Amino acid sequence: MRESPVWAVVALPFALALLVYAAAALDAVLAGGGFRDPLYEGVRLLVQQRRRTLAPDRLLTRIGVVALPLAAVLGAVVVPLGGRAVADLTVGVVWFNAMEVVVWGAVWLAGWGANSAYGLVGGYRFVAQGLAYELPHMFALITAALGAGSLRVDEIAHAQGGLWFAVWMPVAFAVYLLSAVAMAFWGPLGHPAGNDLAGGAAVELTGPDRLVFLAGRYLLLVVAAAMAVPLFLGGDGGPLLPGWLWTLLKTGAVLAVLVWSRQWLPALRMDRFMTAAWTVLIPATLLQMLVVGIVVLD
Amino acid sequence: MGVREVLARYAAARPRPFVVAAADGTRARLAVEAELRRRGWRAAASPAETGLVVVCGEPGAELAEAVEVVWRDVPGPRARVDLPGGTSPEDVARALDGAVERLADLDAQRSDAQARAAAGFWTPESADEHEGMGHGHAEMGDEHGGMGNGQAGMGHGHGGHDMGGHAHHMGAPAGLAMAERADDRDGLRLDVLHVPLGPVLNAWPAGLRVDLSLQGDVVQAADVTVVERGGGGSFWGGRPVARRLDSVGRLAEVAGWPAAARRAAELRDAVLDGRSPGLDAFARWIGRSWALRWMTRGVGTVTPELAGRYGLPEGDVAARLDGWLAQIDGRAVPRDEPSGAALAVLPELLDGVELGEARLIVASLDPDLSGGADA
Repeated sequence: MRESPVWAVVALPFALALLVYAAAALDAVLAGGGFRDPLYEGVRLLVQQRRRTLAPDRLLTRIGVVALPLAAVLGAVVVPLGGRAVADLTVGVVWFNAMEVVVWGAVWLAGWGANSAYGLVGGYRFVAQGLAYELPHMFALITAALGAGSLRVDEIAHAQGGLWFAVWMPVAFAVYLLSAVAMAFWGPLGHPAGNDLAGGAAVELTGPDRLVFLAGRYLLLVVAAAMAVPLFLGGDGGPLLPGWLWTLLKTGAVLAVLVWSRQWLPALRMDRFMTAAWTVLIPATLLQMLVVGIVVLD
Repeated sequence: MGVREVLARYAAARPRPFVVAAADGTRARLAVEAELRRRGWRAAASPAETGLVVVCGEPGAELAEAVEVVWRDVPGPRARVDLPGGTSPEDVARALDGAVERLADLDAQRSDAQARAAAGFWTPESADEHEGMGHGHAEMGDEHGGMGNGQAGMGHGHGGHDMGGHAHHMGAPAGLAMAERADDRDGLRLDVLHVPLGPVLNAWPAGLRVDLSLQGDVVQAADVTVVERGGGGSFWGGRPVARRLDSVGRLAEVAGWPAAARRAAELRDAVLDGRSPGLDAFARWIGRSWALRWMTRGVGTVTPELAGRYGLPEGDVAARLDGWLAQIDGRAVPRDEPSGAALAVLPELLDGVELGEARLIVASLDPDLSGGADA
């Protein structure tokens, strides 16, 4: 692990908070609201009382609710948001992947703990979703790592001096974007928190619990978008502007696409999507990896 | 103003209303939805999410009781707005403004919270004693959850516990009976949850309740009950295109496509105003969605045999949606469809489907109970 400057640690929370607010505001505007809505909603949830269901498992619910943003922030430490990552681990890609899997447990616990049938079904939906997207997601990550010959996020970013990985690994990039919305159970892959379950895994979360959970979901979306930049979009590389600004701009662009995907597609149910994930996405990502492997060996 | 007042104002500025419609509340519901859209307020999907319950129309006894159960558990600060039928847009706007005032009224909210704290937390026993709500049923807890407030099937949530109450009695948690068990479709012995859908549920036909027996999220049996009817003529009589837009909007909502649902509601209100902008484009947009087709094809199929028995058109959810879109953009003659056949066929269509599919099937049949019983 390389030493990171102190300012990277200070800058990270600010960058994350800014992007989370931007994502929530964009979603509100797309849904016909105003850009200040996340502020109002945040205050509303802060002052809202908690309600409880009969015989809930409060400890597990809290663990689930808190683990969601925690996993996102821990995943963010390997992402060079301001040019340098807080912790540029030699196995950064694996660390990111591990933190993202923590989310499975978090969502399931939050859904299970309320002792509500809808929450429980929502939690299980996310576990099923994990089974569908995780393997293609891992292959997409590994493909980028293979292209750079390193699991260090910084080295992957700087291996794309000539050509962005998004250009010559389009399948891996597309699958990565899909798994980004899947891990944040957002939009087309938001069935675990779907409207047909009145909110699914989040159905019984009230007040600050709901605020932390929803903020955690936006954080996941932000971190997934930010990770796409070093993996596939050339990191902080770009003409004229300073590197940190390029990183922020690229992250913002990916984030906007992810947020907007909710407007574009209905929810994909796992009883259908699972088949496509295993019969189309996994072979496609494996093929992509083979191509990249051959090119790298050359 | 102190910090508390400022925060209370901020918190009340953008409520997330939970809208409940009685069978005769269609007109009021449309007025509320239009006003929410105008204000940029987003509706809540569950009572836990909201602080503002908006009741459209005049609920009958059973629905009123369900609303009362939901209301009792709405987290504070909270306000409730009742809009009996035939409400003008001005009345709706005034009522919502009044609700914002009440939400920001710290003294009123504090005394409300104190009264609730004094009344104590709901349990099946207290419900039996105080409310007489019929919680003496074998599956306790169902009534409470039955209002679609997301607490459905409380006490049955412990799906994985292998206690069964047989060999080693561990005692009923929180005074609730454990779920009974039965063989599922693969011959596994699984817990059976009794989860009612409706009559208070987001994106749900007013006046309908469907009692499900679930194993996991698979429906083992469904029992359809008409909780109430509007009486008199249906609101949608003579407005078939607007009705179809309303149905498509609800289906889109259930299918997790809020953008399409919002557009459908806008067009519905425009059509009711005597305008019809962009109906073709809308029908094309929805009809061309490969994802929606992929998710609705083969779901809730009315087979030729069922079609003959109940006098319904054949086809799955995707086909029914296509039929509506054709009526919307004028490719087919708009018609009022009776809801009796849809209600009759529902139990058979729901048997063996996943919960998400069940919601789609109900939305794709969209029985209209706003009028009296149809022939």
